[in-house]
Amino acid sequence: MYGDYEAQRHWLEITYHLPVRLWYKYDLQYWGLDYPPLTAYVSWLCGFIAHKINPEWVALDDSRGIGSATSKVYMRFTVLILDLLIYIPALVQFARNSSLLRHRSAKAKDVALATILLQPALILIDSGHFQYNSVMLGFTLHSLNFFSQGRDLLGAFCFVASLGFKQMALYYAPVVFAYLLGKCLLLGWKSGVPHLASIGFITIAGFTILFLPFLSEFPTHLIPPIQRIFPFARGLFEDKVGNFWCASNVFIKWNRHFSKAVLPKLATGFTAIAFMPSMIALFAPAIKGFGTMEMAGDRSKSCQPSPTFALFTHALFQTSLSFFLFSFQVHEKTILVPLLPLTLLMVASAPTVEGGDWEWGVLLNNMACFSMWPLLRRDGLTVQYIGLLSLWNYAIGHNPLRQSSLRPLTLFAYSAAAVIQVAELLITPPTRYPDLFPVLNALLSAGVFGLAYLWSLKRLVEISWAMGTIRTSTITSTSAPSSLRPILEERRYPSSKELFNNFVSDSAAAGGGNDASNHTISLSTHDVSSLRKRHAPLHATSEGQAPLSAGVVDLTE
Amino acid sequence: MEPALDGGSTSSSRHSKRFSQSLTPTGSGSLRVRKPSNASGGIHSGSMHKVIPDSMHTYGEGIKAVKEKDSERTSLSNVDWDLLVVGTVIKLLLFPAYRSTDFEVHRNWMAITNSLPLSQWYYEATSEWTLDYPPFFAYFEYLLSIPASFIDSQMLRVQNLGYDAWTVVAYQRTTVIVTELVMALALRSFIPKSIHPNIQRIISASLFFHPGFLIVDHIHFQYNGFMFGILLWSILMARNDHKLLSGILFAVLLNFKHIYMYIAPAYFVYLLRSYCMTPNGTISIPSFLRLAQSVLAVFAVSFGPFIWLRQVPQVLSRLFPFTRGLNHAYWAPNVWALVTALDRVLLKIIKMRKIDFEVDTSAVDSTSRGLVGDTSFAVIPKVKPIHTFAITIALQTVFLVKLWRNPTYKSFVAAITLCGYVSFLFGWHVHEKAILLVLVPLSLLAGERHSYFRTFTIASVAGIFSLFPLLFTPAETIIKVVYSILWCILVLSPLSKQLYEFPSGVIAVATDILERAYLYGFILLQVFVSLYPVLTKTRAQAGDTAAESLSKLEFLPLMVTSIYCAIGVIWAFLRFSWLYLTEKY
Repeated sequence: MYGDYEAQRHWLEITYHLPVRLWYKYDLQYWGLDYPPLTAYVSWLCGFIAHKINPEWVALDDSRGIGSATSKVYMRFTVLILDLLIYIPALVQFARNSSLLRHRSAKAKDVALATILLQPALILIDSGHFQYNSVMLGFTLHSLNFFSQGRDLLGAFCFVASLGFKQMALYYAPVVFAYLLGKCLLLGWKSGVPHLASIGFITIAGFTILFLPFLSEFPTHLIPPIQRIFPFARGLFEDKVGNFWCASNVFIKWNRHFSKAVLPKLATGFTAIAFMPSMIALFAPAIKGFGTMEMAGDRSKSCQPSPTFALFTHALFQTSLSFFLFSFQVHEKTILVPLLPLTLLMVASAPTVEGGDWEWGVLLNNMACFSMWPLLRRDGLTVQYIGLLSLWNYAIGHNPLRQSSLRPLTLFAYSAAAVIQVAELLITPPTRYPDLFPVLNALLSAGVFGLAYLWSLKRLVEISWAMGTIRTSTITSTSAPSSLRPILEERRYPSSKELFNNFVSDSAAAGGGNDASNHTISLSTHDVSSLRKRHAPLHATSEGQAPLSAGVVDLTE
Repeated sequence: MEPALDGGSTSSSRHSKRFSQSLTPTGSGSLRVRKPSNASGGIHSGSMHKVIPDSMHTYGEGIKAVKEKDSERTSLSNVDWDLLVVGTVIKLLLFPAYRSTDFEVHRNWMAITNSLPLSQWYYEATSEWTLDYPPFFAYFEYLLSIPASFIDSQMLRVQNLGYDAWTVVAYQRTTVIVTELVMALALRSFIPKSIHPNIQRIISASLFFHPGFLIVDHIHFQYNGFMFGILLWSILMARNDHKLLSGILFAVLLNFKHIYMYIAPAYFVYLLRSYCMTPNGTISIPSFLRLAQSVLAVFAVSFGPFIWLRQVPQVLSRLFPFTRGLNHAYWAPNVWALVTALDRVLLKIIKMRKIDFEVDTSAVDSTSRGLVGDTSFAVIPKVKPIHTFAITIALQTVFLVKLWRNPTYKSFVAAITLCGYVSFLFGWHVHEKAILLVLVPLSLLAGERHSYFRTFTIASVAGIFSLFPLLFTPAETIIKVVYSILWCILVLSPLSKQLYEFPSGVIAVATDILERAYLYGFILLQVFVSLYPVLTKTRAQAGDTAAESLSKLEFLPLMVTSIYCAIGVIWAFLRFSWLYLTEKY
């Protein structure tokens, strides 16, 4: 009966009418509050305004299951307003200032912004199914923006807010932790330790503020929210979800082989192993380059992003996808978490690179919507599903038939998805397997997500290699000859092959640009003419060549 | 088929070729010219992706290329595809939106035409929504009912009143979107040979995305987009010097929906003067006969079966029910809205001042609620249908004389607009939806000069706002307001940039300021309309004694909307009449 919509609306009602200590205890059977306190506070604010407009919408107990047109419009409006307040500013900030898009033209930035804004999966879940995922994602995006500007304290604070809004942000937490700690290592003893201390202080202060009302009677009041937020008593997975556990459950009945106490530990172990590569990629250069960012008497160093930031977005994707695939109690909606960093990577890369970030981003965005299809169908969002998916794919100009190394997979995934959906429409599943189509859906989705995971590992290695983390730590702007400093300043963070290609093609289109780009163009003038034809595959760099090192070598001639 | 290259030619064979090509675009888009790997494709390939750039990075270049090639090509360009896809998706997303009884009306007609023999169509009265459109529309509903029978035969049962399963909603809404393509193609075909293709492109897009169609067709539910598509084809044929075809198309349109009789006088005069007569005034008998025969043939096809069945009087009685009141339920923003309002004010004054005046007491209550029924005045003498008819004819004659003297294309479009305008302002029992009859042809002239553009702006804003009361549900209220604001920004600002002229002279400046103030006043009006129910509610809760009298005035926002819109619509009419009568065509 009902769903997330009623849950969220119910929280408005209980937070507004009840004292804080009862929030996590009141009638838990009826959609009890199980999100962290920031959600509760936001619910209170929305409840407060709703009560001012029409008290019936949030009347305690009496409003349960209210479905009046005005109350629905109000609830949907709160999602849009919160979008406008948190998520969209973060996106705009990202599109305008992010180092990932630094060398792109203004038009390319607008396209990037539109691509993320029209992302169908998030719209379908937030404005269709009804949730406030964009708030959590928005806070994470804010923290990413702050990290990219080297404002780690604000970034950490925003990430605490993200965690405090929805525990799903935990999927990002290892990366944030590894990045910040790694930066402290690079900063060395002298500035690293104070930096670590202030980040730690901000984080603890953030959590303290969040849980402040629950600290009045320590710890009795703090236990209910914690228990509610982390429900380890539930099953290995919820509904049918396209992750490792649900898909493999078709062949291996995990519940029969393992006890309920073991499964969470098993899942946690799998997850930890799965995201370990990201941790290594972030920590290894930090340990190797211990203290290289330190500059005596130059405090501004801690105000710059660490060189490992080039890996940050990708590590976010890799880690959160690991969580989605292997962790305990995953919902199908959780795919939105890895989808955000992937879409950021996607818009920052050139659509023309075969099997690159852009193509994988499109494939995963589409398959994410498909994987949520059983849920969307239940919600009666068929038309919206078709409409938004086609609009987005049309708007970004996706052509699955275009020559690409990813084409076989894309075509297979789309046609299999189409077959499943058409079959679902025409055939009633046999009574023995009432869940036949959701299971097929989960299997297909899990397959694609699993391949995406493998691809993310490959990209992690590529980026680490291309970044030349070890080399950049020795050739910093300060140690290089003064003539090269502006170039290195400019060229330090762009990391991947795609970024390099974009850079060349954008500056080629702009007809010059700054002096750094002039240098880069001269590296591959024979390619510029072909780059002008945006649709022709890029030949700028061959697969194995690390663009940054190539750039550095050439420039030092 | 090769893309048409007949740049300046006006020969009719070339044009019919162009026409068919517009319907079956097989030529290549500008970007595909530069990209040979994707050179095939189009509508028939079934894949939209082939026609569009591989990434939005090329969007700007696409526009540039389109501008260069506009005058040469008739196939759909990338921008056209973009607009078509975006528009269609918006309309798809409106499937679950509010729908009025017109939805059931059309379902019922589909059921009647499908399950009953033709002889029963105009007699069937199981539902209160009897068939009251001309025969072509009935045939159209019959055509729609054929695919419907494969989807869900339940929707075709006459007894199945109020059936609104998901299948019917999806099917009927889809038919609106698909039939509207007639208009989309007409609008696209206006661009190639227009004097300013860039301005015409904006105007065409503005009509395709018109909030009026969104509100009336895609939410409220009707098939106006389709029928205005026929009208636009007819106007386009007049522009391209296919006047016979233009006349035939208009006759077809009349047999779809008889409301287009409002503008028939303009067609009559124009075709008579420019098709049946030579420029020096001698009548060309063969032309006249050709036109008369064609029009009669159209009517014969439409009414033939009913003439055969001797049912014409029954059909006509359904088409013209003279039992309705002066104003529709909600007053359309026309002269009668102002007169009715004036009557209310005079009544108040008489009551307050206790002036000895013979008040029609039966009318005191009837006007207050603005409900369906005969609106009778308390103070002002009663208006009868014959009065409205006389005023309409008299005013139309003024403009038709001008058209007779200047039978050019632009003059013709202006005369269509003004005939529609006069009927809307002075007609008997006018629906607010009829404003589209003014706004659509007026849009075609918006790009002429700044004064035309300003007239268009005032009429459009007031006219669209006057359609708002059609949708009163909360979710659709937000959609209509946000969508209309977006439309205004996206249409009016680029046109204004291209057409702006500084007002010269004191009067022009004063008018300019007043008009701007009027336009910005709509923001206040929307705020008032939105907040009024909330305010009266809180007062009612506070136990105010005035609450009762306030609930009596629950129609106040409607009345204020109607009057405020009427001022703009009438002002735009005066402006446009002046422009038309003084312009040298």
